[in-house]
Amino acid sequence: MRRPDELFDGAARSLSARLAAGMTRRSFLGRMGGAVLAATGGAAVAAAVKPEKGEAFHFCGHIWTTGSCPNPLGLPRIDRNGNPLRPSDGHPIDNLGRPVDASGWAIDGSGERLRGPDGEVLPRAPRTRLCEEWTNERYGLNSIMQGSWYRCCGGQIRKLVDCCSSSKKRINGDASLTGYCWDGKRVFCVLYYDSGLKC
Amino acid sequence: MVETFTPAVCGSRSRQRLAAAFFALGALVASAALGAALGFLGGLVGTRPALIGAVALASLAALRELGLLRLPVPQARRQVPERWRSELPLPVWSAGYGAGLGVGFLTFQPVATFWVACAAALALGRPLLAAACFALYGAGRAFMAVWPRRREPDGTAAVERLVGQRALVSRANAAVLVLAVVLLAVAPAAGAAVVSLGRGFDPSADGNTLARARMSSGTIEVVIAPPAPDPAVPVSPADAPALDGNLLAYADSQGIKVIDWQTNHQVAKIDGAVSDPALDWPNIAYLRDDGSHERLILEDLSNSQVRRVASVAAADDLGRPSLAGGRLAWHRVRHRGSAVFVLNIATWTRRAIVRTSIWMESNPSLTGTRIVWVEQRPAGSYLRLRRFGSSRTRTLTHVKGRKTFLWTTALTGRTAYVTKWTPSAGRSALLRVTF
Repeated sequence: MRRPDELFDGAARSLSARLAAGMTRRSFLGRMGGAVLAATGGAAVAAAVKPEKGEAFHFCGHIWTTGSCPNPLGLPRIDRNGNPLRPSDGHPIDNLGRPVDASGWAIDGSGERLRGPDGEVLPRAPRTRLCEEWTNERYGLNSIMQGSWYRCCGGQIRKLVDCCSSSKKRINGDASLTGYCWDGKRVFCVLYYDSGLKC
Repeated sequence: MVETFTPAVCGSRSRQRLAAAFFALGALVASAALGAALGFLGGLVGTRPALIGAVALASLAALRELGLLRLPVPQARRQVPERWRSELPLPVWSAGYGAGLGVGFLTFQPVATFWVACAAALALGRPLLAAACFALYGAGRAFMAVWPRRREPDGTAAVERLVGQRALVSRANAAVLVLAVVLLAVAPAAGAAVVSLGRGFDPSADGNTLARARMSSGTIEVVIAPPAPDPAVPVSPADAPALDGNLLAYADSQGIKVIDWQTNHQVAKIDGAVSDPALDWPNIAYLRDDGSHERLILEDLSNSQVRRVASVAAADDLGRPSLAGGRLAWHRVRHRGSAVFVLNIATWTRRAIVRTSIWMESNPSLTGTRIVWVEQRPAGSYLRLRRFGSSRTRTLTHVKGRKTFLWTTALTGRTAYVTKWTPSAGRSALLRVTF
């Protein structure tokens, strides 16, 4: 009898092969990367990741020139849903850059919810997606996360994501490229998600 | 001037010194009084219009002193009344001479600088500070009355020598006016003047009366500070003050009470899980929490009519409402965004003053003509101001970073108050911002 993980990997490989047969490599990686990473725990994705470490541009893995999407703390680190994370350790943060607990309440260093001068817990600040909400509001675009690619950064797999829109200019101010976007969209800015999977 | 205090063979050196002293006193007091009056008027006019006027006037004056523009200078072509010296006692006429010259506009004005100083005092909008600055003008007048005599045995010759350097003085004056234009244009008054009022939070203001909450031995109390010389009035235990003239609404463990803070007589109360009142008698707005929802209620205390204005889930926040001029303002902060709303009570129409899915817009306060609120971003927090009917937003003050931020607000006339809060230190302070 095959081990459960062998069964799982085998199913993932079959799925990957079927999907890859109907698409280009770039669009396949873009569309499937997120789902595979989430569903398989990384075994199928690891095969698509180059073994060498990603060269850093303004963050590790990003070897192109498109700027970061707007974010609270200077680097566009996100969770799997596109919400902001603290770049240094991946702790969830709200839109004001404050670390938050699982329910979204801002907390201090000891994990206690922040309170106002009257002793009441401070209200939860908004916590919204950097691509779909932040970029849309600040630049008036109808942007959406699309394509992605993977690099090994700091010993773990980093997924770099294109935030795509119909704008012909990217966040840098100059002409935008297609990158890993599809349906006629172009790369406006980039984000990244650290999977924690070893590479 | 000083020669006239004691003409030849008419009075001793000590008499001359006495006259000079009274002259100086008169000049200082009169100029300080003029400065105080201008500062007071400036507070009524508004810092910004007065400042714009001062910059314009200083520019014109500089052009005039540089000889590029011909402009008459308002002045009274008069000298001090000669007959006073023979009709009045020395202290009276010497002080009178000083006062007449100290106010400036009762005598010759060879240059326009005096009027620029008047405009600057208006722009300050603060009587005491303007008085202190203008007293320097009086000191200068007193100095010029006695200085030539100290340098020369013949005071007249000393003055004539000074007049001979008029061109140099004119150029120096022009340079000072140009500098004044630059300084006035970049003055803090061009934005707003910010003063810390000490510890406290949750301000509420009506005219010159300010109420604030503060921690006192582990209990929150409210302190109402009327204008001097009336003493401050504490109310304890009490939280979340809302002032409306003589009336104060506040929250305590039973609910909300409305009292006449001068007599401590209770005029109304609302029991239950209610908090954060806003008062514009007979209307009162407050939050009611039923565990699953937080609701903003508007109640007419004259007929007990209760209307629900807004409702959010318990995890979201409607904040501290503000009620004035027939309008009600509140914020709504949710996980997906925030907004500040204003409701026209008469028409029951509401609109969003600001709405965002990124920042936290919160804690509005309003008057009949303006609204302020706090916008929090990762880089810092900002006290925003907008006039009703305008889409232009000004920033009155800001605090950088996230460790300390601006919180609850109050607004009355052209003065805003805002709490500055540092959670890690447990420190709150109240800022007053005039604009």
